[in-house]
Amino acid sequence: MVALRVALKRYGFPYALLLPALLGVGILTLYPLLNTFWLSFHRYNLLRLGQAPVFTGLENYRRIFSDEFFWFVLRNTGLFAGGCVLATMALGVGVGCLLNVPFRGRTILGVAVLLPWVIPKVAAGIVWKWIYDDQYGILNFILTKLGFDFQGFSWFSSAPIAFLAVGVVVVGQSFPFIALSILAGLQAISPEIMEAAAGDGAGPWQRFTLVTLPMLKGLLLILTILSTVWDFKVFDQIFIMTEGGPAQSTYVMGIYAWMTAFGEMQMGRAAAIAMVMFAILAVITLIYLRIARSGEGLE
Amino acid sequence: MMRRFLGKAGIYSAAAAVLVFSVFPFVWMALTSFKPNEEIFTAVPRLLPTRWTLAQYRYVIDRGGFGRYFLNSAVIALFTTLCGIFVASLAAYALARFRFPGRTVFLLLILVVQMFPLVVLIIPLFIIMRRLGLLDSYLGLVIAYTTFTLPFGVWMLKGYFESIPSSLEEAAMIDGCSRMAAFARVIVPVSAPGIAASSIYAFIGAWNEFMFAMTFINKESMRTLPLGLQAFFGQFTVEWGPVMAASVIFTLPVLVFFLLVQKRLTTGLVKGAVKG
Repeated sequence: MVALRVALKRYGFPYALLLPALLGVGILTLYPLLNTFWLSFHRYNLLRLGQAPVFTGLENYRRIFSDEFFWFVLRNTGLFAGGCVLATMALGVGVGCLLNVPFRGRTILGVAVLLPWVIPKVAAGIVWKWIYDDQYGILNFILTKLGFDFQGFSWFSSAPIAFLAVGVVVVGQSFPFIALSILAGLQAISPEIMEAAAGDGAGPWQRFTLVTLPMLKGLLLILTILSTVWDFKVFDQIFIMTEGGPAQSTYVMGIYAWMTAFGEMQMGRAAAIAMVMFAILAVITLIYLRIARSGEGLE
Repeated sequence: MMRRFLGKAGIYSAAAAVLVFSVFPFVWMALTSFKPNEEIFTAVPRLLPTRWTLAQYRYVIDRGGFGRYFLNSAVIALFTTLCGIFVASLAAYALARFRFPGRTVFLLLILVVQMFPLVVLIIPLFIIMRRLGLLDSYLGLVIAYTTFTLPFGVWMLKGYFESIPSSLEEAAMIDGCSRMAAFARVIVPVSAPGIAASSIYAFIGAWNEFMFAMTFINKESMRTLPLGLQAFFGQFTVEWGPVMAASVIFTLPVLVFFLLVQKRLTTGLVKGAVKG
């Protein structure tokens, strides 16, 4: 108590500055998180007006864990996020390296590459949906012109193809950030090291695998974790492009939780699904923090 | 010589491929929006409209209600930005200039909160807002959007404030300014570009947001732009012309803002991410 008073007196000014933000984060994120946790042990159907949440213990968790569909969605999410992360990282590293090579038009490419990243996900999803359109879409037209039979091909009538189609959009919007970060990392490597490696007879590929990649290891790890977190949460593009269909086959965790909450109005069960999602992301985040802290320190 | 030429050719073709992948969809969006229907629904699409028309835009604004949706989006994004960045800049200043107990915990909190899936927050927020009558209101969405603009703003602004030497406000304080006055009169003007960049980022985040809006808005007159767009997909056939025109209206402000600040925005973001 005394310690608190001393701390307040000494640090009153910074604490006062911090207070509004702390309240904001507390009320808007920490409280809802705890509330979701609490709700996940209750049955709460919003359609039944005036009915309070009923405590049911672990019933929601038991129910979702014994539901095959939950495991199907979890697998979907894992595979989709995993695939997107791999593609995002590969493309991001590739483009980051490309932007590090001096050539004419490099600055323009740098700005252009970033565009998809700020474009609203909803708009990107919609324009790609138009590109993929089975009848009048430009993609089927071009592919058919190139000699493949894509006339009237529907990109959204089976899950694997639909995931591929959405994945292209997700990757297209997330690789710019990776590319830019990699570029920053590459530019921090001193040219002398590269020259020394070249002097020792290392070719371009060897310089890349033996010098560049090891030096970027920490950065690569952090970017991989960040994009895993982002892709695991994917919602907008899938909702816009497939709405989870056909027949719920492109459901991912975000869609599943949202639909359970606001389609079926089962708030308790939806909360349990959201908590599972949260737990998975929390583990990934912890790994992230550990790496980030051991790397540069949380200054 | 040959090898060198091949290397150059490789670089340029890779650059061209990346360029097409990144930019073409949005060029196609814009081009489609200027085409009359018969050039959109055709078996042999052409790149450029043979007859340029604004009919799709007229339709979307006169009949589709997109003027109203634009206004809703703008008001909500603007207020989200103002509130979020004001609160965030105070906190960011405290974090950048003072060492105090709990500082690391708060930093961790700010960082971790950004990893939360919004789905985890949306259920209680919906229940609370329903109880408070904040569904179908500007205020409801402004509050909801602060969940992500605030932590992000703190993190980004902290970086900017740290890059300003503290001798600046020390000098102001020797001249008789209070700490708060030094912050308001010296630090804020000096870091104006950083504050602008963070504000624009917050604005874009709120402008683009879809899930909260879809959940909290039901009334047609309160729709934001992404909701207006989504409404096109309820019908059996999609009217791609108006959809593309509406997408352009939705995307253009973001694009303009982005081009204004792209340099500062990107360096600030990357620094934040790499630092962890």
